[in-house]
Amino acid sequence: MRNLFAFIYRFRAFLVFLLLEALCVFLIVRYNTYQGAAFFNSATRYVGQVLEFQSGITDYFRLATVNESLASENAALRQELMQYRLAALTDSTASLDTTYFVATDSSMAYPYHLMAGRVINNSVRRMNNYLTISKGSADGVQPGMGVIAPEGVVGRVKTVSKHYATVTSLLHSQMLVSSKLKKDNTFGTIKWEGGDYRSALLDYIPLHVKPEVGDTVVTSGFNTVFPEGIMVGTISSVEQEPDKSFYTIGVQLSVDFAQLSFVYVVENTYRPEQDSLEQNAGIITDEQ
Amino acid sequence: MNNSFGASHIVQFFLLVALQVLLMDNLVLYSMGFCFIYVAFLLYLPLSINRVWLLFLGFIVGFTVDIFYDTMGIHAAASVLLAFLRPHVLNLLTPHDGYDSSDEVNIHVMGTRWFLTYAFSLILLHHAAVFFLETINFQTALYTLAKTILSTIFTGIVVVIIQLLFFSPKRERIDYR
Repeated sequence: MRNLFAFIYRFRAFLVFLLLEALCVFLIVRYNTYQGAAFFNSATRYVGQVLEFQSGITDYFRLATVNESLASENAALRQELMQYRLAALTDSTASLDTTYFVATDSSMAYPYHLMAGRVINNSVRRMNNYLTISKGSADGVQPGMGVIAPEGVVGRVKTVSKHYATVTSLLHSQMLVSSKLKKDNTFGTIKWEGGDYRSALLDYIPLHVKPEVGDTVVTSGFNTVFPEGIMVGTISSVEQEPDKSFYTIGVQLSVDFAQLSFVYVVENTYRPEQDSLEQNAGIITDEQ
Repeated sequence: MNNSFGASHIVQFFLLVALQVLLMDNLVLYSMGFCFIYVAFLLYLPLSINRVWLLFLGFIVGFTVDIFYDTMGIHAAASVLLAFLRPHVLNLLTPHDGYDSSDEVNIHVMGTRWFLTYAFSLILLHHAAVFFLETINFQTALYTLAKTILSTIFTGIVVVIIQLLFFSPKRERIDYR
């Protein structure tokens, strides 16, 4: 027995080393596997405060570009609104007698809510990139919600604290986004392969369709995370490799991740219903 | 006071981690050269520090950076590896007459050659661990290797600059600030 203790004491440094490394590997595996299971992350209160302080300073240098993008988004939305107004003016169904026409319930029409959040921490150059935003569970953000920017898809909420949330960026080696070609609705999967943060790959587009450079790629809306038709990017290259039954398509992402300042968290009010239905039916979506 | 863990090391811890999180996070050369300056905290610790204590310090500093970087466990694992290997590298680099009780990790005291070998070998191992843990697969090994080497040079140069700026040539250290 004494020999055993002497042995442990003699190799204590090595044993502590093994113990700590095992703990680290456990942390790595656990953080990569389960959605929202991690306890320590940049959404933690004090870490979030430090990051918010930092971005409070650096944001001043980007005010001009942020204002410009908000103004152009405003203009686009106003234009869309004017089209609806015009349609409403020419449309007389609302004034029809309800005997012939059942008014649709407008509160049920659009099941998505958007919550604007400020990006307080962001990375684009690692293999697995995350963002931290200053909106948390107090504002209704929950793990698994989609995150979009005015220009397109950004990522998916991983963990939340009371006032902060971490977001798995689209620039993450395990992030898959179900997407489709806008022109003919062929669906595939967007995947980031590392390296350049402006380009990604579109997989699983079968050979009988004819994708062309410049075609628009949007989200498919097959899952509960993103609404249908959110911009992802445009096709920058199409290659047909001889031993594959799918195209290898390069996509130029529409969002400049290095310039992100404000994003919207998408809340799908039908999500619990769709998720539980698909789970009961035994369907597992291809996203993590 | 030279050979014990004192207030100056605690100040160094906070300064270097703050430097890492607030500044170096945004400073990436050619999307390949990363600077993990927080390892300087482990490099500048006293030569005769207890090995077990050193391992825990390595874990703490790596874990702190991990929380900010959302890379749970990667930097902690690499830092613990560095902390484990540090006494062995110090053994290999023992001068002819052994270490003096007044010796410390200081480029003026230990000489440029000793310091460069010590710093660059440990930084290289640490960065290799970080980048290979990050990618896991070995398909992009060449790219990861290039990233490791460029980042090692970057971090190493910053470590030397900090030595030249803040560590006095005399045998006692001025307060690091």
